Amino acid sequence: MKINRTSQGTAAIFTVEGQVDMHTSPDLRTQLRAALQEKATPVVVDLTAVAFIDSSGLATLIEALQATNKYGGRLRLCGLSTSVQNLFRLSNLTSIFDIRATSADALK
Amino acid sequence: MSEAAPDRIHVSLCSDPRYLPLVRALAQQGAELAGFGDEARDTLLLAVSEAVSNVIRHAYRDRHDQPVDIDLRARPGWVQVEVVDRGRFVDPSQIQSRPLDEIRPGGLGVHLMRATMDSVEYRKNDFGGTTLTLVKRAAPPALA
Repeated sequence: MKINRTSQGTAAIFTVEGQVDMHTSPDLRTQLRAALQEKATPVVVDLTAVAFIDSSGLATLIEALQATNKYGGRLRLCGLSTSVQNLFRLSNLTSIFDIRATSADALK
Repeated sequence: MSEAAPDRIHVSLCSDPRYLPLVRALAQQGAELAGFGDEARDTLLLAVSEAVSNVIRHAYRDRHDQPVDIDLRARPGWVQVEVVDRGRFVDPSQIQSRPLDEIRPGGLGVHLMRATMDSVEYRKNDFGGTTLTLVKRAAPPALA
């Protein structure tokens, strides 16, 4: 898994590539926490190039969502493949997250 | 006429999360042997990956040098995967999935297995650990 972080004003944009699982999700958690400590908003997680995500990846995103809510920030996800969308639906998370089509939409 | 014997693949690996992509590659192979469509394939990959992650986390308490055996059988439209560990027996009632309206990290893995597989069965095995058997069947073709 690769993570690239860019900034745009107060926004932090994370572009994730590869597979997010029990082995790789701690790295995503560490990088997201850094942005959360800076109180970045919106925090955008672009999953366009993510082929697989498991429950540990979902847990990482839920933690980040809760942390941004605490400081009044926003977490937005974008670029979910059909497979990842199905996972969110199965987990009853579709209505919990702010999910946009593209990173440009997520920055509006 | 009797049904043909299923294809069978057996893999032994260490309880190291670095090998999870290998576990998913095995599930992918099983899905191809069964002729699954995209959704059945994706859910099989997810469930098998969650099963092995749970073994690492719960049965072996994050020890990464312990044995995990995976036995996959596939025939058209059907895949069965057994995940065998020799760790602490995990009482299924202790890893029940959490209520979905309780939004918090954790507890989703068991829910995802149960939501996507046709059968999820835990039993104590001869090694004192747990054998988890997952069964996935292809969805019947839509009626015209």
